[in-house]
Amino acid sequence: MARVYVSSVIDAPVAKVWAKVRDFNALPRWVPAVRESRIENGEPADKVGCVRDFHLQNGDHLRERLLGLSDYDMFCTYSILESPMPLTDYIATLRLTPITDGDKTFAEWTAEFDCAPELAADLVSGIGTNVFQAGFDSLKRQMVA
Amino acid sequence: MVKIVKSTVLNAPVEAVWAVLRDFNGHDQWHPAVADSIIERGYPSDKVGCVRRFHLADGSELRELLLTMSDADMAFSYCLHETPVPLLNYVAHVRLAPVTDGDRTFWHWESRFDTPPGRELELKTMVAENIYQGGFDAIRAHMGLGG
Repeated sequence: MARVYVSSVIDAPVAKVWAKVRDFNALPRWVPAVRESRIENGEPADKVGCVRDFHLQNGDHLRERLLGLSDYDMFCTYSILESPMPLTDYIATLRLTPITDGDKTFAEWTAEFDCAPELAADLVSGIGTNVFQAGFDSLKRQMVA
Repeated sequence: MVKIVKSTVLNAPVEAVWAVLRDFNGHDQWHPAVADSIIERGYPSDKVGCVRRFHLADGSELRELLLTMSDADMAFSYCLHETPVPLLNYVAHVRLAPVTDGDRTFWHWESRFDTPPGRELELKTMVAENIYQGGFDAIRAHMGLGG
């Protein structure tokens, strides 16, 4: 089991950051690697069980299922149904926690998956850097504006 | 029941902050509200179930019991046994998490307790600001960290 953990501080109140990231269909608006996204079957993006079908800038196609969403705890959990990446049983959670000292946001993004052992380091680093940290960097830029 | 949540980010790696906070008897080294502290019965300060007996600057004596301690989660919890301050059924949880973006530390400190009727706001403010926020600021000074 490989594990990714990336965390950051967003200089904005947690409610503002959550309003942006709770939308399961909003990846193109804050994760730079994602080009476009839609929710299958016209379902609402906060319907637990809905599937987002999206493409990356490089043309890769992915489908992910929303497994859990909590406005109370401010987390979102999802799994990969289809992707070109050589991994299986991928489950990820994005979680926000308020930083009361300064009214900021602590953002954590974790993922666990199975893969061939020799591929684990590259996959962990690629997902952590190109998706998770890149997403946080984008949020930091957007929230300043 | 009153609930308090306070959290901050420290400009230090999480291992360094955890090394200071995991010493259940170390708070008199850094917290300005604590004058002196001992662990009763000579127990080690990371023995779950140990009791720290300490005095505040005004001389009042408190006893707190270590309920849980986890190096894996970098977290511990404790409850208040005896206190001249009417914080009743007081249970607190401290946990740290790494901020991988910049190799910093997220510190989360929360508690729940009851108070005599009418004193909720006063005691909530005292714990949140004097003990928790005051503790954050004191650790920064103790570890020589900037804002």
